[in-house]
Amino acid sequence: MSYRPDEKDWMAYLYGEMEEGEKLKFESYIEQHADAREELGRWKNLRAMLSRADEKEVIAPPLFIDDRRRSVGGRAVYWLRTPYVKIAMSVAASLLVVILAGSATRTRMTISGHEFRLSFGEVQEGKEGQQNAASPILSEAQVQEMINTSLNRNNSLMQANLEETQKKLDASIRKNLALNSGRINDLLKQASTASQQQITQYVQGMRQENMQQVKDYFQLTSTEQKKYIENLLVDFAQYLQQQRNSDLELVQTQMKSLEQNTNLFKQETEQILSGIITTVGTPVRQETRN
Amino acid sequence: MVHGDPLIVRAKTGDQVAQGKIVQLWYKRIYNFGYKFFLDHDMAMEVSQKTFISMCRNFHNLQDPSRFKSWLYKIAVNYCREEARKKKGSRALSFDLVWNMYAEDSPKWESSAQRLDNPERQLQQLELSEILQKALLELSEEQREIVIMKEYEGLKFREIAEILNLSENTVKSRMYYGLDGLKKILKKRNINENTIGYEL
Repeated sequence: MSYRPDEKDWMAYLYGEMEEGEKLKFESYIEQHADAREELGRWKNLRAMLSRADEKEVIAPPLFIDDRRRSVGGRAVYWLRTPYVKIAMSVAASLLVVILAGSATRTRMTISGHEFRLSFGEVQEGKEGQQNAASPILSEAQVQEMINTSLNRNNSLMQANLEETQKKLDASIRKNLALNSGRINDLLKQASTASQQQITQYVQGMRQENMQQVKDYFQLTSTEQKKYIENLLVDFAQYLQQQRNSDLELVQTQMKSLEQNTNLFKQETEQILSGIITTVGTPVRQETRN
Repeated sequence: MVHGDPLIVRAKTGDQVAQGKIVQLWYKRIYNFGYKFFLDHDMAMEVSQKTFISMCRNFHNLQDPSRFKSWLYKIAVNYCREEARKKKGSRALSFDLVWNMYAEDSPKWESSAQRLDNPERQLQQLELSEILQKALLELSEEQREIVIMKEYEGLKFREIAEILNLSENTVKSRMYYGLDGLKKILKKRNINENTIGYEL
């Protein structure tokens, strides 16, 4: 019967948790099979390597355990700490606070018809009764009639006021007009008497001023013209002088040139003549002497 | 701790001193279980604290004091699974991870609790430990929790089966495939007895 260990046997033998009978079988199998011996060696090597992993040193921190549950009585009160119960308790506590606050401030909320009323403190019955008495119920027609009456009264009053104001305004305008026309007439009279003298004076003044201006203008222009012409003449005289000088210079140079030419011509002529004389010689002289 | 310890019996009756002593005794074990499960200090602390708070509150539910160890690990496993679910849903970065990435703190071998005489060996040991923990993290949650409970917490297959509500055979099978997975992961990273130079 062939025995072949499976993975569970390998692990059980490797960690020393194999039963005695199984162990003997396994060991005899190992002895007979070299590859199994090698396999076991590899597993042992792996375990030896794994054992080289360090253990970390750590200090246990203090633990604070809430043991209220246990002290109150174990499971008996556990349901009190469930979330739903907690929420319900919170809502109930909030409502209680609201009710207490309401009773302390004597808060009252009333809803009547379309009215919501929130009030604090003592109820004042007397005032409420007066308010109710002061606001009797009126029909629509009565209200309309009251509005119409009030409007008519108001219109007539406004009309009367308008007429009275109009009258006052008319009277005031007439009075002002009469007063102002008298003043204007007086002013016009004064202006007509005073204007003839003033006009003559003004015209005379104007004439004198104009004459003076014309005189001044002519004087000014004549002096300016004189100056201009003088300058012009001076300039022309200078121009003429300059022209004359340049002409003289030109004539002089030409004369000099002519003189030079003449001298040259003379010299040449003399040379020619002396040359002729020398060539012709004395007989000619003698003949001429003779 | 012996099963059926009078300390557990006292703690079960609500004795806060006894409960405090149990916390002191088991805190390191539960923390290391959480740390290996998450490879994260904050998460391990979170799981440890929740586990012990739950332990103190529910001590009266412990029927058999001799099964305290399984009961405690059951609470821890449940919190680990809960935190793992939360972690999958959130994108928060562990402070530990950021700190270790960017902080200029002292060399790793200096912070080791196990101070060996040779700093080089200390460093090697720390590196190997990190590699192993990262390899553990690559396993599925189902395999990882069993490997940690068996290999590092020393629980019996029967106890693990009780904690996880599984059959012993299923636990052994998962353990086998978990170890096989680790073997492959370490082989892929070229980690073996020769590279780490340890003596068997």
